Amino acid sequence: MNTTTKTAKYFSWPLMKQTIRSNRALTAAIMIVMILMCIVISVARNMMLSGSSDSASSTTFMAYLYALLSQGELYDYNQLMSGAYDSYSAIFAALGKGYSLEAFKELAATLMEEGTHDTYLSMFEYTVTVNGTTGIFGNTLNLNEYMALMMESIGMSSDLLTNMEGIDMSSMLNQMYYTIMGILPLLVYIVVVGNGLIASQVDRGSMAYVLSTPTKRSAVVITQAIYMIVVPFIMITITCIVKIAMSAGLSGDPDAAVTIMLYFGMYILIEAMAGLCYLGSCLFNRSSKSMAFGGGLTVWFFLASLLGMFGSDNLVQMGMGVEILGVFNNLTLIGLFDIESIATIGSEAVDYAFVWKLVILFVIAVAAYIAGAVRFTKKDLPL
Amino acid sequence: MSIIKVEGLTKDYGDGRGIFDINLEVNEGEIFGYVGTNGSGKTTTIRNMLGFVYPDKGKIDIGGLDPAVSSAELMKKVSYIPGEIAFPNLKTGADFLKLQAEYSGITDYSRMNYIADKLGLDTTADLKRMSKGMKQKTAIVAAFMSDRDIMILDEPTTGLDPLMRDVFIELINEEKKKGRTVFLSGHIFEELEEVCDRVAMLKDGRIIDVINMYELRHSSDRNFEVVFESAQAANTFKEAFDGAYAQGNSVFVALPSKRTDELFKTLKQFKVLQIHEKHTTLEEVFMKDYDL
Repeated sequence: MNTTTKTAKYFSWPLMKQTIRSNRALTAAIMIVMILMCIVISVARNMMLSGSSDSASSTTFMAYLYALLSQGELYDYNQLMSGAYDSYSAIFAALGKGYSLEAFKELAATLMEEGTHDTYLSMFEYTVTVNGTTGIFGNTLNLNEYMALMMESIGMSSDLLTNMEGIDMSSMLNQMYYTIMGILPLLVYIVVVGNGLIASQVDRGSMAYVLSTPTKRSAVVITQAIYMIVVPFIMITITCIVKIAMSAGLSGDPDAAVTIMLYFGMYILIEAMAGLCYLGSCLFNRSSKSMAFGGGLTVWFFLASLLGMFGSDNLVQMGMGVEILGVFNNLTLIGLFDIESIATIGSEAVDYAFVWKLVILFVIAVAAYIAGAVRFTKKDLPL
Repeated sequence: MSIIKVEGLTKDYGDGRGIFDINLEVNEGEIFGYVGTNGSGKTTTIRNMLGFVYPDKGKIDIGGLDPAVSSAELMKKVSYIPGEIAFPNLKTGADFLKLQAEYSGITDYSRMNYIADKLGLDTTADLKRMSKGMKQKTAIVAAFMSDRDIMILDEPTTGLDPLMRDVFIELINEEKKKGRTVFLSGHIFEELEEVCDRVAMLKDGRIIDVINMYELRHSSDRNFEVVFESAQAANTFKEAFDGAYAQGNSVFVALPSKRTDELFKTLKQFKVLQIHEKHTTLEEVFMKDYDL
């Protein structure tokens, strides 16, 4: 008999192989979901960013139209629509201030392409025609006031319009991606895998086959913890690379420092929660109890973070949130993943608040892993 | 000489469940049976012996090691078949067995193949679709392939058909020939009777009897049942022979073997229809001990 028996004290390769093999399918599925989500969000964010440049070009377009108007030129709507602008050449030249027929033509063409050309044109028409006119009750009419009145009549705050301009859509998208959609697949992963690493094997009894070989319990807990620490890291790293590549490809600006920091923060957050799932797995001999512990905490953190988002400034300003819901951000570990302060990296005023929050998450992760491992080596196992 | 020594082992789970003050001594090369009804504490004892569960009181010594302290070291000497068979999440029986071999540092699969062949196990079968019997066979192969000195087997024949049970007994006897020690729990008396040297009986977490199978088989007491023509003849014989009692036209006789000759001499005077010797079975001892 050719046996070279060594006692596995801290790490067991066969166990690692077994763990990798039994989680292969789930890992691949979650990885695919994460990458797809990352691609979708990158594309959406890019569209949002390019959409926001509209306001600038609309202002310039309006400026041209006002300029024509101020020159007393009767604006020929059909001429503008047909793209025959040549007669304005002299007017723009007379205006100076950088106005030129070429620039105007180009701008009009861009807006045509975007499909907003006619919208601005009509807006201009309304503004010029209505603003300053005296109404039948003798009031001077103002289009902005009219808008506010319309909002009020349908039960929305008239501040909404002013607030809308202050909302950073891309930061909201970030919030949604990094604290809700992006982590959801990983949360499912750590709950299922966390339970499978220890508790379900003890509950089913298959752990007996590991422990009836020269493999110490310490080797079991350390090997499983390593899996739980390394695999999410690899998954997040791959997603991060995809994200940076997508940003670089779409907008030419990978913004790598912030993106890497965001994903690093996400990893620490996931590890804190994975640590708790692992702890539950080590504490309980019943799979159902371990699931209730790890899954319950994770679902709570997730829901609290979702509720907390409805208390965030952005959504409150949009009129979709309620400020008091912001309390929930303090009741979830996800609230310690401060993506707004991470987003300031690279700007002049970097907000370092995210650092101590990540340190708390890190400490929770370490404590949970150690507590779980120690408990498992000391408890009775029904094998 | 004793290789497994359990002293005053107590594990109290409350409500009278658990094991209490278990004392056992298994000698090297011995096949030791451990019987009891369901829930009597067989598996709890075994879990303590393997270091999966830590005792409340008492101590265990297996081959010089305390399982509560050095379970992993102990596993170099002990192979184990769990009472409940649940395999890890792997595809086939072969995947599982190869992984088990890797855990134990086995690189030569010849013994694994030998035992699988002997049990007629198809290792390429899907682990999850295996029947109870096939799972049990797989567990037996996993335990026997590591070729260790002590085997602790918790109800190893569950789910095996009678044919395979015989093969299993053959395997146990092969181990015995190699001088291996086997600790075997179960509730099927015939197979324990066939292989065990000694059998301990467990009731409500306590050992109530340890039976030496050799003595049981070669008891100095003999039991005979004699059938006469009539109840009257049976009664007459009962009067004539000390230690007999009648039931209908049969008479049961229990006597030390040295009185056998006397029995036959007495019987000569009667017309005997049938006579047979009755062996005490483990089951009978068990029933008697259990007050069933």
